[in-house]
Amino acid sequence: MPQSYTKLLEEVGRKVMKAVSERARAIASKFGFLEYMVVRYHEIFGDWSEVTELLEAFEKPLVKAIRINTLRFKSVGEVLERLEKLGYELSKIPWDRSSYIVVRAGRVSLGATHEFLLGGYYLYRGVASLIPPLALSPSKLDRVLDSAAAPGGKTTHLAQLMDNEGLIVATDISRERFRALRTNLERMGVENVVAIRVDSRRIPEIFGEYFTKSLLDAPCTGEGIIQLDPSRKTKTSFEDLVRAHKKQVELLMATIRATAPGGRVVYSTCSIAPEENEFTIAEVLESLSNVRVVRTSTAVDFEPGVTEYFGVELPEQLKLCGRTYPHKHGFEGFFVCVLEKEMK
Amino acid sequence: MKCTLGGNEVLSHISRLYGAEATEAVKGYTPMYCSGSFTEVYLVKPQLLEAVEAVLRSGRIPYFAGMYGGRLRSAKPEFIPSHVLVERIYEFLGHPIRAVKAIEQGIKVILYGRDLLAESVASCFEPVELGEVVSVIGPDGYVYAIGLSTTSSCEEIAKLRKKDVVVRSVFDLGWYLRGGTVPREAKYKL
Repeated sequence: MPQSYTKLLEEVGRKVMKAVSERARAIASKFGFLEYMVVRYHEIFGDWSEVTELLEAFEKPLVKAIRINTLRFKSVGEVLERLEKLGYELSKIPWDRSSYIVVRAGRVSLGATHEFLLGGYYLYRGVASLIPPLALSPSKLDRVLDSAAAPGGKTTHLAQLMDNEGLIVATDISRERFRALRTNLERMGVENVVAIRVDSRRIPEIFGEYFTKSLLDAPCTGEGIIQLDPSRKTKTSFEDLVRAHKKQVELLMATIRATAPGGRVVYSTCSIAPEENEFTIAEVLESLSNVRVVRTSTAVDFEPGVTEYFGVELPEQLKLCGRTYPHKHGFEGFFVCVLEKEMK
Repeated sequence: MKCTLGGNEVLSHISRLYGAEATEAVKGYTPMYCSGSFTEVYLVKPQLLEAVEAVLRSGRIPYFAGMYGGRLRSAKPEFIPSHVLVERIYEFLGHPIRAVKAIEQGIKVILYGRDLLAESVASCFEPVELGEVVSVIGPDGYVYAIGLSTTSSCEEIAKLRKKDVVVRSVFDLGWYLRGGTVPREAKYKL
Protein backbone atom coordinates (compact mmCIF):
# COMPACT_ATOMS: atom_id res chain seq x y z
CA MET A 1 0.00 0.00 0.00
CA PRO A 2 1.44 3.40 -0.88
CA GLN A 3 2.52 5.46 2.10
CA SER A 4 2.73 9.20 2.44
CA TYR A 5 6.18 10.26 3.54
CA THR A 6 4.71 13.69 4.27
CA LYS A 7 2.35 12.07 6.78
CA LEU A 8 5.20 10.04 8.28
CA LEU A 9 6.94 13.32 9.11
CA GLU A 10 4.38 13.87 11.90
CA GLU A 11 5.57 10.65 13.51
CA VAL A 12 9.20 11.65 12.94
CA GLY A 13 8.51 14.96 14.67
CA ARG A 14 7.22 13.18 17.76
CA LYS A 15 10.23 10.84 17.84
CA VAL A 16 12.66 13.75 17.46
CA MET A 17 11.19 15.51 20.48
CA LYS A 18 11.29 12.31 22.53
CA ALA A 19 14.93 11.73 21.63
CA VAL A 20 16.17 14.96 23.25
CA SER A 21 18.70 13.75 25.82
CA GLU A 22 20.86 15.51 28.41
CA ARG A 23 23.81 15.26 26.04
CA ALA A 24 21.80 16.77 23.18
CA ARG A 25 20.72 19.61 25.47
CA ALA A 26 24.31 20.30 26.51
CA ILE A 27 25.65 20.37 22.93
CA ALA A 28 22.72 22.46 21.69
CA SER A 29 23.25 24.93 24.50
CA LYS A 30 27.00 25.14 23.88
CA PHE A 31 26.54 26.07 20.20
CA GLY A 32 23.25 27.96 20.58
CA PHE A 33 21.13 25.57 18.50
CA LEU A 34 17.60 24.36 19.13
CA GLU A 35 17.70 20.94 20.79
CA TYR A 36 15.61 19.18 18.16
CA MET A 37 18.14 20.12 15.46
CA VAL A 38 21.05 18.53 17.26
CA VAL A 39 19.08 15.31 17.85
CA ARG A 40 18.51 15.03 14.10
CA TYR A 41 22.22 15.48 13.33
CA HIS A 42 22.94 12.59 15.71
CA GLU A 43 20.37 10.49 13.85
CA ILE A 44 22.19 11.23 10.56
CA PHE A 45 25.77 10.64 11.79
CA GLY A 46 25.17 8.22 14.69
CA ASP A 47 28.05 9.79 16.54
CA TRP A 48 28.12 12.78 18.92
CA SER A 49 31.71 13.68 18.10
CA GLU A 50 30.76 14.12 14.45
CA VAL A 51 27.78 16.25 15.49
CA THR A 52 30.21 18.48 17.35
CA GLU A 53 32.48 18.67 14.29
CA LEU A 54 29.51 19.78 12.18
CA LEU A 55 28.49 22.45 14.66
CA GLU A 56 32.06 23.71 14.94
CA ALA A 57 32.24 23.92 11.13
CA PHE A 58 29.05 26.00 11.11
CA GLU A 59 30.93 28.57 13.23
CA LYS A 60 33.57 29.15 10.55
CA PRO A 61 33.03 31.68 7.75
CA LEU A 62 32.31 30.36 4.28
CA VAL A 63 34.95 30.75 1.61
CA LYS A 64 33.83 32.91 -1.28
CA ALA A 65 34.11 31.64 -4.81
CA ILE A 66 33.87 33.11 -8.29
CA ARG A 67 32.90 31.52 -11.58
CA ILE A 68 34.61 33.14 -14.54
CA ASN A 69 32.11 33.99 -17.25
CA THR A 70 33.50 33.05 -20.64
CA LEU A 71 30.38 34.41 -22.34
CA ARG A 72 31.72 37.95 -21.78
CA PHE A 73 35.47 37.42 -21.57
CA LYS A 74 37.27 35.41 -24.19
CA SER A 75 39.28 33.41 -21.70
CA VAL A 76 39.39 32.47 -18.03
CA GLY A 77 43.05 33.53 -18.03
CA GLU A 78 42.21 37.09 -19.02
CA VAL A 79 39.96 37.59 -15.96
CA LEU A 80 42.41 35.83 -13.64
CA GLU A 81 45.24 38.04 -14.80
CA ARG A 82 43.18 41.17 -14.24
CA LEU A 83 42.15 40.07 -10.73
CA GLU A 84 45.70 39.12 -9.80
CA LYS A 85 46.78 42.63 -10.75
CA LEU A 86 44.23 43.88 -8.20
CA GLY A 87 45.89 41.76 -5.51
CA TYR A 88 43.56 38.77 -5.53
CA GLU A 89 44.87 35.28 -4.86
CA LEU A 90 42.62 32.59 -6.30
CA SER A 91 42.73 28.83 -6.09
CA LYS A 92 41.18 26.55 -8.72
CA ILE A 93 38.20 24.44 -7.69
CA PRO A 94 39.24 21.01 -9.01
CA TRP A 95 35.76 19.86 -10.03
CA ASP A 96 34.75 22.89 -12.12
CA ARG A 97 36.77 24.17 -15.05
CA SER A 98 35.98 27.87 -14.60
CA SER A 99 35.59 28.41 -10.84
CA TYR A 100 38.00 29.59 -8.17
CA ILE A 101 38.07 29.97 -4.40
CA VAL A 102 39.08 33.41 -3.19
CA VAL A 103 42.15 32.75 -1.03
CA ARG A 104 43.06 36.41 -0.49
CA ALA A 105 40.95 39.49 -1.25
CA GLY A 106 42.35 42.28 -3.35
CA ARG A 107 42.27 46.04 -3.05
CA VAL A 108 38.76 46.47 -4.48
CA SER A 109 35.83 44.42 -3.18
CA LEU A 110 34.79 41.60 -5.50
CA GLY A 111 31.37 43.09 -6.24
CA ALA A 112 32.86 46.43 -7.30
CA THR A 113 35.69 45.56 -9.67
CA HIS A 114 35.50 46.56 -13.33
CA GLU A 115 35.66 42.85 -14.13
CA PHE A 116 32.50 42.18 -12.11
CA LEU A 117 30.63 45.10 -13.70
CA LEU A 118 31.68 43.89 -17.14
CA GLY A 119 30.15 40.50 -16.36
CA GLY A 120 33.50 38.75 -16.05
CA TYR A 121 32.41 36.58 -13.16
CA TYR A 122 29.61 35.57 -10.84
CA LEU A 123 30.32 35.92 -7.15
CA TYR A 124 29.17 33.13 -4.81
CA ARG A 125 28.92 33.21 -1.03
CA GLY A 126 29.93 29.54 -1.01
CA VAL A 127 30.94 26.99 -3.60
CA ALA A 128 28.11 24.42 -3.33
CA SER A 129 25.84 26.46 -5.62
CA LEU A 130 28.09 25.38 -8.48
CA ILE A 131 26.97 21.77 -8.10
CA PRO A 132 23.37 21.69 -9.48
CA PRO A 133 24.17 22.98 -13.00
CA LEU A 134 27.10 20.54 -13.21
CA ALA A 135 24.80 17.71 -12.09
CA LEU A 136 22.26 18.69 -14.76
CA SER A 137 25.04 18.85 -17.36
CA PRO A 138 23.06 20.56 -20.14
CA SER A 139 24.19 20.60 -23.77
CA LYS A 140 23.65 23.12 -26.57
CA LEU A 141 20.71 21.05 -27.79
CA ASP A 142 18.73 21.05 -24.55
CA ARG A 143 15.58 22.88 -23.56
CA VAL A 144 16.21 23.62 -19.89
CA LEU A 145 13.81 24.72 -17.16
CA ASP A 146 15.41 26.60 -14.26
CA SER A 147 12.67 26.78 -11.66
CA ALA A 148 12.96 29.25 -8.74
CA ALA A 149 15.89 30.73 -10.65
CA ALA A 150 16.59 34.13 -9.07
CA PRO A 151 19.03 35.74 -8.47
CA GLY A 152 20.52 33.85 -11.40
CA GLY A 153 23.80 32.24 -10.32
CA LYS A 154 22.66 28.87 -11.59
CA THR A 155 20.92 30.28 -14.67
CA THR A 156 24.04 32.09 -15.83
CA HIS A 157 26.11 28.99 -15.06
CA LEU A 158 23.75 26.86 -17.18
CA ALA A 159 24.01 29.42 -20.01
CA GLN A 160 27.79 29.19 -19.83
CA LEU A 161 27.74 25.37 -19.88
CA MET A 162 25.48 25.60 -22.96
CA ASP A 163 27.72 28.21 -24.59
CA ASN A 164 24.73 30.56 -24.91
CA GLU A 165 22.96 28.06 -27.21
CA GLY A 166 19.84 25.94 -26.68
CA LEU A 167 17.08 27.33 -24.46
CA ILE A 168 16.71 28.07 -20.76
CA VAL A 169 13.37 29.14 -19.31
CA ALA A 170 14.05 30.76 -15.94
CA THR A 171 11.18 31.32 -13.55
CA ASP A 172 10.77 32.96 -10.17
CA ILE A 173 7.91 34.55 -8.27
CA SER A 174 9.69 37.16 -6.11
CA ARG A 175 9.64 40.62 -7.67
CA GLU A 176 12.83 41.77 -5.94
CA ARG A 177 14.78 38.60 -6.67
CA PHE A 178 13.54 38.69 -10.24
CA ARG A 179 15.05 42.16 -10.68
CA ALA A 180 18.40 40.69 -9.63
CA LEU A 181 17.95 37.81 -12.09
CA ARG A 182 17.28 40.16 -15.00
CA THR A 183 20.26 42.34 -14.09
CA ASN A 184 22.60 39.37 -13.85
CA LEU A 185 21.46 38.00 -17.22
CA GLU A 186 22.10 41.36 -18.83
CA ARG A 187 25.42 42.02 -17.08
CA MET A 188 26.76 38.57 -17.96
CA GLY A 189 25.78 38.69 -21.62
CA VAL A 190 23.35 35.75 -21.50
CA GLU A 191 21.36 35.28 -24.71
CA ASN A 192 19.65 31.90 -24.41
CA VAL A 193 17.24 32.66 -21.57
CA VAL A 194 13.54 33.47 -21.49
CA ALA A 195 12.68 34.69 -17.99
CA ILE A 196 9.15 34.73 -16.61
CA ARG A 197 7.94 35.97 -13.24
CA VAL A 198 5.46 33.28 -12.33
CA ASP A 199 4.76 30.79 -9.58
CA SER A 200 6.86 27.85 -10.76
CA ARG A 201 3.97 25.50 -9.99
CA ARG A 202 2.14 27.00 -13.00
CA ILE A 203 4.85 26.09 -15.52
CA PRO A 204 3.25 22.83 -16.77
CA GLU A 205 0.09 24.83 -17.67
CA ILE A 206 2.17 27.05 -19.96
CA PHE A 207 4.58 24.54 -21.48
CA GLY A 208 3.27 21.02 -20.96
CA GLU A 209 6.02 18.32 -20.99
CA TYR A 210 8.44 20.56 -22.88
CA PHE A 211 11.84 20.54 -21.18
CA THR A 212 14.57 18.00 -21.79
CA LYS A 213 16.36 18.97 -18.56
CA SER A 214 15.00 20.72 -15.49
CA LEU A 215 16.58 22.21 -12.40
CA LEU A 216 14.79 22.96 -9.16
CA ASP A 217 17.07 24.56 -6.60
CA ALA A 218 14.19 24.70 -4.19
CA PRO A 219 13.48 27.45 -1.67
CA CYS A 220 14.50 25.94 1.67
CA THR A 221 15.10 26.75 5.32
CA GLY A 222 18.86 27.12 4.79
CA GLU A 223 19.95 24.45 7.29
CA GLY A 224 23.17 24.01 5.32
CA ILE A 225 24.25 27.65 5.36
CA ILE A 226 24.12 28.47 9.06
CA GLN A 227 27.57 30.07 8.59
CA LEU A 228 25.82 32.78 6.56
CA ASP A 229 22.78 33.10 8.79
CA PRO A 230 23.46 32.17 12.41
CA SER A 231 19.85 33.11 13.29
CA ARG A 232 18.94 29.82 11.56
CA LYS A 233 20.18 28.05 14.70
CA THR A 234 17.00 29.03 16.50
CA LYS A 235 14.45 30.43 14.07
CA THR A 236 13.05 27.29 12.40
CA SER A 237 10.76 24.84 14.16
CA PHE A 238 10.12 21.26 13.08
CA GLU A 239 6.68 22.40 11.87
CA ASP A 240 8.42 24.98 9.65
CA LEU A 241 10.45 22.16 8.11
CA VAL A 242 7.26 20.25 7.34
CA ARG A 243 5.71 23.35 5.73
CA ALA A 244 8.85 23.80 3.59
CA HIS A 245 8.72 20.10 2.65
CA LYS A 246 5.11 20.38 1.44
CA LYS A 247 5.92 23.35 -0.79
CA GLN A 248 9.03 21.60 -2.12
CA VAL A 249 6.94 18.54 -3.03
CA GLU A 250 4.54 20.75 -5.01
CA LEU A 251 7.38 22.52 -6.79
CA LEU A 252 9.17 19.29 -7.64
CA MET A 253 5.97 17.65 -8.91
CA ALA A 254 5.38 20.64 -11.20
CA THR A 255 8.99 20.59 -12.39
CA ILE A 256 8.71 16.89 -13.26
CA ARG A 257 5.38 17.45 -15.02
CA ALA A 258 7.00 20.12 -17.19
CA THR A 259 9.83 17.75 -18.15
CA ALA A 260 9.62 15.65 -21.32
CA PRO A 261 9.58 11.82 -21.09
CA GLY A 262 13.17 10.61 -20.96
CA GLY A 263 14.21 13.96 -19.47
CA ARG A 264 16.32 14.63 -16.42
CA VAL A 265 15.48 16.63 -13.29
CA VAL A 266 17.94 17.91 -10.69
CA TYR A 267 16.55 18.74 -7.25
CA SER A 268 18.78 20.61 -4.82
CA THR A 269 18.61 22.61 -1.61
CA CYS A 270 21.08 24.45 0.62
CA SER A 271 19.78 22.40 3.52
CA ILE A 272 20.95 19.23 5.22
CA ALA A 273 17.47 18.49 6.61
CA PRO A 274 16.22 15.06 5.44
CA GLU A 275 12.71 16.50 5.83
CA GLU A 276 13.44 18.93 2.95
CA ASN A 277 15.43 16.49 0.88
CA GLU A 278 15.06 12.71 1.04
CA PHE A 279 11.47 12.96 2.34
CA THR A 280 10.62 15.31 -0.54
CA ILE A 281 12.08 12.95 -3.13
CA ALA A 282 10.48 9.92 -1.43
CA GLU A 283 7.03 11.56 -1.47
CA VAL A 284 7.40 12.36 -5.18
CA LEU A 285 8.61 8.83 -6.00
CA GLU A 286 5.58 7.47 -4.16
CA SER A 287 3.22 9.74 -6.12
CA LEU A 288 4.75 9.36 -9.58
CA SER A 289 5.55 5.95 -10.99
CA ASN A 290 7.47 7.30 -14.00
CA VAL A 291 10.53 8.74 -12.23
CA ARG A 292 13.57 7.16 -10.64
CA VAL A 293 16.73 8.39 -8.95
CA VAL A 294 19.99 8.10 -10.87
CA ARG A 295 23.51 8.61 -9.57
CA THR A 296 24.68 12.22 -9.24
CA SER A 297 27.73 12.22 -11.44
CA THR A 298 29.94 15.19 -10.72
CA ALA A 299 33.52 15.08 -9.52
CA VAL A 300 32.40 16.04 -5.99
CA ASP A 301 32.92 13.29 -3.40
CA PHE A 302 29.36 13.24 -2.03
CA GLU A 303 28.03 11.56 1.07
CA PRO A 304 25.09 9.31 0.11
CA GLY A 305 21.47 10.27 0.72
CA VAL A 306 19.81 9.19 3.98
CA THR A 307 17.68 6.03 3.73
CA GLU A 308 16.74 5.47 7.35
CA TYR A 309 15.57 8.22 9.66
CA PHE A 310 13.92 7.85 13.06
CA GLY A 311 12.57 4.43 12.16
CA VAL A 312 11.26 5.45 8.74
CA GLU A 313 12.68 3.39 5.88
CA LEU A 314 13.18 5.54 2.80
CA PRO A 315 13.59 4.12 -0.74
CA GLU A 316 17.04 2.55 -1.28
CA GLN A 317 17.55 4.55 -4.49
CA LEU A 318 17.92 7.71 -2.37
CA LYS A 319 21.46 6.53 -1.62
CA LEU A 320 22.27 7.77 -5.13
CA CYS A 321 21.52 11.37 -4.10
CA GLY A 322 24.43 13.45 -2.84
CA ARG A 323 24.99 15.35 0.40
CA THR A 324 27.75 17.73 1.42
CA TYR A 325 28.64 18.85 4.93
CA PRO A 326 30.80 21.76 6.03
CA HIS A 327 33.00 19.62 8.31
CA LYS A 328 33.65 17.06 5.55
CA HIS A 329 33.71 19.09 2.36
CA GLY A 330 34.81 22.51 3.61
CA PHE A 331 31.81 24.31 2.13
CA GLU A 332 28.06 24.60 2.68
CA GLY A 333 25.77 21.78 3.66
CA PHE A 334 23.96 20.90 0.45
CA PHE A 335 21.75 18.25 -1.08
CA VAL A 336 21.47 17.28 -4.74
CA CYS A 337 19.51 14.50 -6.39
CA VAL A 338 19.13 13.58 -10.05
CA LEU A 339 15.85 12.09 -11.25
CA GLU A 340 15.08 10.59 -14.62
CA LYS A 341 11.62 10.57 -16.15
CA GLU A 342 10.82 7.39 -18.04
CA MET A 343 10.16 7.38 -21.78
CA LYS A 344 6.46 6.89 -22.56
CA MET B 1 3.22 46.08 -20.05
CA LYS B 2 2.71 44.39 -23.41
CA CYS B 3 5.25 42.45 -25.48
CA THR B 4 5.15 41.78 -29.20
CA LEU B 5 7.46 39.82 -31.46
CA GLY B 6 8.67 41.06 -34.85
CA GLY B 7 9.08 44.43 -36.53
CA ASN B 8 12.14 46.18 -37.90
CA GLU B 9 12.18 49.38 -35.86
CA VAL B 10 15.27 48.45 -33.88
CA LEU B 11 17.11 47.35 -37.02
CA SER B 12 16.37 50.73 -38.59
CA HIS B 13 17.94 52.44 -35.59
CA ILE B 14 20.99 50.17 -35.67
CA SER B 15 21.38 50.89 -39.37
CA ARG B 16 20.96 54.65 -38.84
CA LEU B 17 23.50 54.78 -36.00
CA TYR B 18 26.08 52.20 -37.00
CA GLY B 19 25.48 51.60 -40.72
CA ALA B 20 23.52 48.96 -42.63
CA GLU B 21 26.36 46.47 -42.25
CA ALA B 22 25.93 46.54 -38.45
CA THR B 23 22.48 44.93 -38.67
CA GLU B 24 24.28 41.76 -39.80
CA ALA B 25 25.65 41.49 -36.25
CA VAL B 26 22.17 40.48 -35.10
CA LYS B 27 21.12 38.60 -38.21
CA GLY B 28 18.68 35.79 -37.40
CA TYR B 29 17.48 37.40 -34.17
CA THR B 30 13.82 38.42 -33.91
CA PRO B 31 13.15 41.70 -32.09
CA MET B 32 10.73 41.64 -29.17
CA TYR B 33 9.31 44.96 -28.01
CA CYS B 34 7.95 45.28 -24.47
CA SER B 35 6.07 48.52 -23.91
CA GLY B 36 4.90 50.08 -20.70
CA SER B 37 5.98 53.56 -19.64
CA PHE B 38 8.84 53.00 -22.11
CA THR B 39 9.76 50.36 -24.69
CA GLU B 40 12.48 47.82 -24.03
CA VAL B 41 13.91 45.82 -26.93
CA TYR B 42 15.16 42.25 -26.81
CA LEU B 43 16.78 40.36 -29.66
CA VAL B 44 15.56 36.79 -29.57
CA LYS B 45 17.40 33.80 -31.01
CA PRO B 46 15.34 31.40 -33.16
CA GLN B 47 15.48 28.56 -30.60
CA LEU B 48 13.80 30.81 -28.01
CA LEU B 49 10.84 31.82 -30.13
CA GLU B 50 8.66 28.80 -29.37
CA ALA B 51 9.00 29.43 -25.63
CA VAL B 52 8.34 33.17 -25.98
CA GLU B 53 5.23 32.45 -28.02
CA ALA B 54 4.00 29.97 -25.39
CA VAL B 55 4.44 32.60 -22.67
CA LEU B 56 2.60 35.24 -24.70
CA ARG B 57 -0.23 32.79 -25.49
CA SER B 58 -0.69 32.17 -21.75
CA GLY B 59 -1.38 35.89 -21.26
CA ARG B 60 1.93 36.47 -19.47
CA ILE B 61 4.98 38.42 -20.58
CA PRO B 62 8.62 37.40 -20.69
CA TYR B 63 10.59 39.80 -18.50
CA PHE B 64 13.77 38.98 -20.38
CA ALA B 65 14.34 37.07 -23.60
CA GLY B 66 17.53 36.62 -25.59
CA MET B 67 19.88 39.59 -25.73
CA TYR B 68 18.87 42.88 -24.13
CA GLY B 69 19.02 45.36 -27.02
CA GLY B 70 18.22 48.65 -25.37
CA ARG B 71 15.40 51.18 -25.07
CA LEU B 72 13.27 52.94 -27.67
CA ARG B 73 12.11 56.51 -27.04
CA SER B 74 9.74 58.88 -28.75
CA ALA B 75 12.18 61.83 -28.52
CA LYS B 76 15.86 62.08 -29.42
CA PRO B 77 17.81 59.91 -28.76
CA GLU B 78 15.19 57.57 -30.20
CA PHE B 79 17.24 54.49 -29.41
CA ILE B 80 19.63 53.87 -26.52
CA PRO B 81 21.44 50.63 -27.32
CA SER B 82 22.59 48.33 -24.53
CA HIS B 83 26.33 48.08 -23.96
CA VAL B 84 26.15 44.39 -24.86
CA LEU B 85 24.61 45.18 -28.26
CA VAL B 86 27.15 47.91 -28.94
CA GLU B 87 30.02 45.56 -28.12
CA ARG B 88 28.49 42.95 -30.42
CA ILE B 89 28.35 45.51 -33.24
CA TYR B 90 31.93 46.67 -32.65
CA GLU B 91 33.14 43.09 -32.66
CA PHE B 92 31.31 42.44 -35.92
CA LEU B 93 32.56 45.63 -37.58
CA GLY B 94 36.06 45.09 -36.23
CA HIS B 95 36.30 48.63 -34.87
CA PRO B 96 34.29 51.07 -32.74
CA ILE B 97 32.24 53.95 -34.13
CA ARG B 98 30.24 56.66 -32.33
CA ALA B 99 32.61 56.23 -29.41
CA VAL B 100 35.26 57.84 -27.26
CA LYS B 101 38.02 55.92 -25.58
CA ALA B 102 38.67 57.16 -22.04
CA ILE B 103 41.75 56.97 -19.86
CA GLU B 104 41.51 54.88 -16.64
CA GLN B 105 40.72 57.96 -14.51
CA GLY B 106 37.80 58.82 -16.80
CA ILE B 107 36.39 55.30 -16.49
CA LYS B 108 36.59 55.51 -12.69
CA VAL B 109 34.60 58.74 -12.75
CA ILE B 110 31.99 57.56 -15.23
CA LEU B 111 31.37 54.39 -13.19
CA TYR B 112 30.09 56.69 -10.42
CA GLY B 113 27.42 57.91 -12.83
CA ARG B 114 29.20 61.15 -13.69
CA ASP B 115 29.83 62.68 -17.10
CA LEU B 116 33.03 62.27 -19.10
CA LEU B 117 35.23 65.35 -19.32
CA ALA B 118 37.51 66.35 -22.19
CA GLU B 119 40.64 65.77 -20.09
CA SER B 120 39.73 62.05 -19.83
CA VAL B 121 39.39 61.39 -23.56
CA ALA B 122 42.21 59.36 -25.10
CA SER B 123 40.75 59.01 -28.60
CA CYS B 124 37.53 59.47 -30.53
CA PHE B 125 35.78 57.46 -33.24
CA GLU B 126 33.54 59.24 -35.78
CA PRO B 127 30.76 59.84 -36.42
CA VAL B 128 29.93 61.78 -33.28
CA GLU B 129 26.69 63.72 -33.37
CA LEU B 130 25.37 66.37 -30.99
CA GLY B 131 22.70 64.93 -28.67
CA GLU B 132 23.03 61.43 -30.09
CA VAL B 133 24.31 58.27 -28.39
CA VAL B 134 28.02 57.70 -27.97
CA SER B 135 29.82 54.83 -26.24
CA VAL B 136 32.52 55.26 -23.64
CA ILE B 137 35.21 52.63 -24.11
CA GLY B 138 37.83 51.79 -21.52
CA PRO B 139 41.56 51.34 -22.22
CA ASP B 140 40.80 47.57 -22.33
CA GLY B 141 38.37 48.02 -25.25
CA TYR B 142 35.18 47.16 -23.32
CA VAL B 143 32.16 49.49 -23.33
CA TYR B 144 31.68 51.00 -19.84
CA ALA B 145 28.96 53.52 -20.53
CA ILE B 146 26.50 54.87 -23.06
CA GLY B 147 25.90 58.59 -23.10
CA LEU B 148 24.97 61.57 -25.23
CA SER B 149 27.53 63.56 -27.16
CA THR B 150 27.90 67.28 -26.46
CA THR B 151 29.81 67.80 -29.69
CA SER B 152 29.22 67.30 -33.40
CA SER B 153 32.59 65.81 -34.27
CA CYS B 154 35.77 64.35 -32.81
CA GLU B 155 37.59 67.43 -34.03
CA GLU B 156 35.45 69.61 -31.77
CA ILE B 157 36.50 67.60 -28.72
CA ALA B 158 40.11 68.56 -29.27
CA LYS B 159 39.10 72.23 -29.03
CA LEU B 160 37.29 71.90 -25.69
CA ARG B 161 38.69 72.97 -22.33
CA LYS B 162 39.83 70.21 -19.95
CA LYS B 163 36.77 70.40 -17.70
CA ASP B 164 34.20 70.60 -20.49
CA VAL B 165 31.75 67.70 -20.67
CA VAL B 166 32.22 65.49 -23.73
CA VAL B 167 29.72 62.73 -22.91
CA ARG B 168 26.66 63.22 -20.75
CA SER B 169 26.20 59.86 -19.08
CA VAL B 170 22.93 58.02 -19.66
CA PHE B 171 23.90 54.54 -18.47
CA ASP B 172 27.11 53.19 -16.97
CA LEU B 173 28.05 49.76 -15.68
CA GLY B 174 28.30 51.13 -12.13
CA TRP B 175 24.49 51.00 -12.16
CA TYR B 176 24.81 47.27 -11.54
CA LEU B 177 26.18 48.23 -8.13
CA ARG B 178 24.09 51.32 -7.46
CA GLY B 179 20.69 50.24 -8.68
CA GLY B 180 20.87 46.92 -10.46
CA THR B 181 19.21 44.75 -7.88
CA VAL B 182 17.07 47.20 -5.91
CA PRO B 183 15.32 50.23 -7.37
CA ARG B 184 17.61 52.86 -5.89
CA GLU B 185 18.41 54.54 -9.16
CA ALA B 186 16.69 54.50 -12.55
CA LYS B 187 18.60 52.64 -15.21
CA TYR B 188 18.69 55.47 -17.73
CA LYS B 189 19.15 59.12 -16.81
CA LEU B 190 16.68 60.32 -19.43
